[in-house]
Amino acid sequence: MRQPTMPIPSPFQSSIAKPGQGKVVLSLLPPNNPTLTTLTYKYPLKLVPRTGGFVPSPDSSAHSDTRPSNPVHLYLLTYGGGLLPGDHIEVSITLEPRTRMVVTTPQGSTKIFKTTPNNTGTAPNVIKGHRNQMPANNHISDMSQQTLDVNIGRQAALCYLPDPSVPFKHSRYAQLQTFTVDATAKGNDRSSVCVLDWVTQGRTSRGENWNFQFWRGRNEVWAEDDKGNRQLLLRDSVILDDESGDLDATSVSNEVEVEEGVKGKVENTTHDTNTALAKPADMPPQAPAGLTPLNLIAERTRPHGVVGTLILSGPVFEALGSFMLSQFQSQPRIGSRNWSDHAPSSVSEPSISNKGDVTWTAARVRAGFVLVKFGAKDFETAKHWLGGLIREEGSVIREFGEEALCCL
Amino acid sequence: MLIKDTQDLEAEVTLLESRLQDARAQLAAAEYPSPPSSWAVKEPYNNINNTKLTSATRTSLHALLLLSDSALPLGSFAYSSGLESYLAHNKSPRTTAIRSFHRFLKLSIASIASTSLPYVLAGYRHPSTLDTLDNDLDASTPCIVAQRASIAQGRALIGVWERAFRVSFAGKPVSEDAEAAATAIDDLSDALKSCLEEDEDLGPKGHFAPLWGVVCRAMGLDLEQTAHVFVMNHAKAVLSAAVRAGVMGPYQAQNVLASQELQDTIMRRIEREWDTPVEQAGQVVPALDLWVGRHELLYSRIFNS
Repeated sequence: MRQPTMPIPSPFQSSIAKPGQGKVVLSLLPPNNPTLTTLTYKYPLKLVPRTGGFVPSPDSSAHSDTRPSNPVHLYLLTYGGGLLPGDHIEVSITLEPRTRMVVTTPQGSTKIFKTTPNNTGTAPNVIKGHRNQMPANNHISDMSQQTLDVNIGRQAALCYLPDPSVPFKHSRYAQLQTFTVDATAKGNDRSSVCVLDWVTQGRTSRGENWNFQFWRGRNEVWAEDDKGNRQLLLRDSVILDDESGDLDATSVSNEVEVEEGVKGKVENTTHDTNTALAKPADMPPQAPAGLTPLNLIAERTRPHGVVGTLILSGPVFEALGSFMLSQFQSQPRIGSRNWSDHAPSSVSEPSISNKGDVTWTAARVRAGFVLVKFGAKDFETAKHWLGGLIREEGSVIREFGEEALCCL
Repeated sequence: MLIKDTQDLEAEVTLLESRLQDARAQLAAAEYPSPPSSWAVKEPYNNINNTKLTSATRTSLHALLLLSDSALPLGSFAYSSGLESYLAHNKSPRTTAIRSFHRFLKLSIASIASTSLPYVLAGYRHPSTLDTLDNDLDASTPCIVAQRASIAQGRALIGVWERAFRVSFAGKPVSEDAEAAATAIDDLSDALKSCLEEDEDLGPKGHFAPLWGVVCRAMGLDLEQTAHVFVMNHAKAVLSAAVRAGVMGPYQAQNVLASQELQDTIMRRIEREWDTPVEQAGQVVPALDLWVGRHELLYSRIFNS
């Protein structure tokens, strides 16, 4: 069974969905046969399933009483490999009890194209004619949006390790990912979730360094019982806003214009110097505390070129979560050698941004969730670091196969 | 040390009080085009010299002074809100240490405003939703270090309310709203006590931000006072930590606290978050989460966070 069995393979079914909408239901038909009982999607979204790619070995499961079902791999694609202003992607996935799904983005990073009047040069031409461009002066409607809503039944597991989103200069984007788990399931019956959400500074090859206008990533995990009562278990919300939409932010918009002028110079320089280069000559000298830093988002993410969050929960990812925690706790103590010699305060310590320039933290928060947050100097560094840790621990590959890590 | 601290604190309180008055006077004078419509309206403190104080105003002023007092026993002094970790991660030579601290202060205020202020405002506006707000804020707190700090201060605030303020404020409630707020605090307090035994980690926690909003309401403060004192107290805590961490001296810290720049920053952040629903609250400074989370990796620590 290379292709998943689909009882209703109607080509007309996709016409039910609105543009950008998609719906997937994964059921387990007896005896142990994962089947996509629903699969619809509409342009510019595309959902491509694949089963049978990987069969977990019988003893690999965290819960040994039942053999885990084979994971179904769902590729999440958009035409052009990204989102245009006004695009609204809305994916709903239901994982029925004991099913497993791997979701990846095989097109590389999710590109967020820029939000400006004439969308020149950034988006591939093929796409331009097909999608209705929203009026560019409307800040809300021309924002790219993506919502993902996943219901995960008892003993079901979702492994979602996508590529990072790469917001282009001037782009605006909001993403809401909601995961609902079964509140009545306890112990090894619980639903399992692994979600990675990360965002980069943009296209470094073009000198972009957090030059987008707005990016919001919100991930929520809710528990829902059989009566429909919902409780928020975890909310991870990151807002990167250059605040240029504020009423009194005239200085910011000035800065954007000037920055366009020096764009040529900015290219091919390291990210650290970008903000300095972009500083307009005629700006008044900044006060010591710098009320309006030139690039607010870069200032708030410094020194990182990529930031992200990994959320782990449930029995299937318990081992990985514990591994991440122990790795975090065994990091060298910061400043452990410093107390013996007081003088060299100007010497920067290499041990802080230790190996690979990844700054990270892991914590076991409520309801057994393990939350990993990281910042790294660039995408490759973060990818190498995270992929390395997950491979070293090994349980994700045992349960879902190497393809679950294809973005890392 | 103690005496010195007390003196500093007293000086700080006096200064802050006058600063607050100034800020309000300016506010009243300034045109505020955006959300907080109440800001431009009547300012009781402008009229102190002209009009007689009404008893409601006097009660609210009294409550304001109590809640803005650094001596309020919330244990805030034990937390540096990530400053200690920030300093360890961003070693800078003595000459630029101050500049580096200013950066942190701004980031920290922006962060507290975007993550916690919506909960303060929601707690004030809808005291009856306190348990949900408490749960949702707990769900949104990304690391143990920050969670510990928030819960410890929240529970301390309940303690101060119950042991000290309640008698004076709940006895003769300013309004029905205040009464409802007092009931909400009692309910949460009861819930906290009754679930002490259960290990249930999804039960009530007593986070600081929403409780602050509710307590301020119970004590008759208005919404902008509530928000301002919340952010200002945070700034004070960070500056106090800076003094104790040796970044700057106490006079310099007062200088920063009194500065127009800090006032502007606070006003701007409050204005930005005025209408932010709690679901949209979030971290605007991702780097800060990393510093706070890595506080426990510090070899030596003088603060709890």
